[in-house]
Order: sequence, then C-alpha cells, then structure tokens
Amino acid sequence: MDPMDLLHIGPRTFSSRLILGTGKFSSSKVMLEAVRASKAELVTVALRRFNREQLEDDLFGPLSELEGLTLMPNTSGASTAAEAVKAAHISRELSGSPFIKVEIHPNPHHLLPDPIETFEASRILASEGFLVMPYIAADPVLAKRLEEVGCASVMPLGAQIGSGQGLTTAGMLDIIIRESTVPVIVDAGLRAPSEAARAMEMGCSAVLVNSAIAAAADPAEMAAAFRDATAAGRSALRAGLMTAGNEAVPTSPLTSFLGESR
Amino acid sequence: MLTIVLNGKPETVAEGSTVADMLAAAGSDGRTVATVLNDHVVRPPERSAAVLREGDRMEILVFAGGG
Repeated sequence: MDPMDLLHIGPRTFSSRLILGTGKFSSSKVMLEAVRASKAELVTVALRRFNREQLEDDLFGPLSELEGLTLMPNTSGASTAAEAVKAAHISRELSGSPFIKVEIHPNPHHLLPDPIETFEASRILASEGFLVMPYIAADPVLAKRLEEVGCASVMPLGAQIGSGQGLTTAGMLDIIIRESTVPVIVDAGLRAPSEAARAMEMGCSAVLVNSAIAAAADPAEMAAAFRDATAAGRSALRAGLMTAGNEAVPTSPLTSFLGESR
Repeated sequence: MLTIVLNGKPETVAEGSTVADMLAAAGSDGRTVATVLNDHVVRPPERSAAVLREGDRMEILVFAGGG
C-alpha cells in the first residue's frame, strides 16, 4: 500500500484530502486560523469588487503567506458559461493557480448548479489548460461527460450549499465514484465530521467543506475535527471495511463452561 | 473630463487618466488586485500605459472569502 497516499489532481499532488472554503467566516483572522488547523493545502476564494472601506476582505495577501497553500478560485456570481470563463481568466491572472472551481448557479433560492452552462464552461476552460473542478449535481452521466472533456475532478454536491443536510445524494455518489477515473470530491452540504468520514469511506477522493466550519462556535476546532475525520475515513477505506450481514456472528467462543453445572 | 464606469459606478476623471491612476485614487497599492478594462485583463506592467476613454468600464477586483 502506498504509504504516502497522495491525492492526485491532474499533475498536482496533495497530502491533505480536506479542501476548505473561505466564505462566511466572522473575520479573516478566524478564517486563517481555521485554514491552519485544517492542514488543508487547497482553499477556494471568490472574486469581489475592491472596496477601500473593507480592505480586510482582500484575502490574497494573508493567504499567500500561509506555506504550502494553493488557491482554487471559484466562478461564483456567474450565471452563464461565458461569465464563468471570464471570471476564470481574471482569477488566473491574480492567483497564478491553474485550478478553477466552476460554479454556476443561477437561482439564489436553491443554489443548484446549472448543468448545461457548467458543462460548457468546463469544456472551454479544460481546453485552455485549466485544472477544472466543476461543482455539479450528483449526476453520474454529467460527471462522466465532464471527465471526458478533460476536467481534473468532479465535485458533486452532498446536499444544497450551506444546508448542512449531509450526504443526501449518497446513492448517486456511489455510482459516480464507481464510474469515475478522476477524483470525486464531495462539495457542499456536509454538516458533521462523521459525514466527511463517511464520504471518504465510500471512496470519495476528498471533501470540500466551508459552512460547517465557518458556522461552528469554534471554527478552528471544527476544522481540526474535519481534518481528522477525513483522514480516518480515508484510512478505513484503505484498510477495507468488513462485509455487513443480517445475522449475528460471535466474536467470543459460545462453548461456555459456565452452563455445565446447570 | 470624461466619464467612465468604475466598479459599476459612474466616475468623472481627467483626460489622459490611466488604469494605474484609478488604482491609486481608489487607495489600492495594486499588488493584490486584478484590473479589468472593458472585459480585458490589464496586467500590472500594462496599467500605467492603459489610458481611459469615454464610456470605459473598469473593474478592480480582489479575492474575498468564498466556498
């Protein structure tokens, strides 16, 4: 067994299988503490208009100072493929990172990704050499099509963004994991570290977590919990889970001496 | 004087103003921002030569928190 067990995304490798989102934290300081505690090596960021009244929102400087961190800008705010491609180009200029999380959700009420625009943007960006990480519904057919046009991974949702409903798509995720030759990363919906562990036990290559950590009373502690749970789930997968059965199987001898005097 | 749209808001600027001038006026040192003029990225070395024209749309963008 490979003792390093690195996560391979395109030509890049990572030791950590926990990817962190940086949104919704109460302050940049709290976010940076959570990133450090998580040991994540890949974090998402989003483009926003510069505002001199909110200089603290500019995370590029502080994140650049953390060693071993790679940025994965997202295309949030885009509602069409063309807008996402534009955001990706601007982001690459600023980040210098080949990673792009394609995120196109036109409806703010459910934030579900538009499969058609997502496919088109991903196809274009992959052909331009980006390492494309598309955020998608847990649709095995779409996942396969994205893999075929050169995406570096697929990122199906566990549940709606920020909902904390967990792995509601587990059945579909199972199929995606079975069929994929690129890393499958569950993105969105996780609430508890146990869900991250379960996703990894199922065979996901990594998990992307934001709200569950940002909204915790102690984000750094929760980041550490997700770090450990993700690693535990991965270890369990590698170790090989026992087969579940419908009947009890004893773990101790039933030929007891205690009953012999009855 | 000419009118441009900076980060979605109309701004009146002097003739001959550049992307670099707008950055300085906005209070940014330019190191952690991307500048975009009419949907085209203006890279840092090109900013002081990028002269603004009437009706130009300029964006100054940063990386903020996002999932």
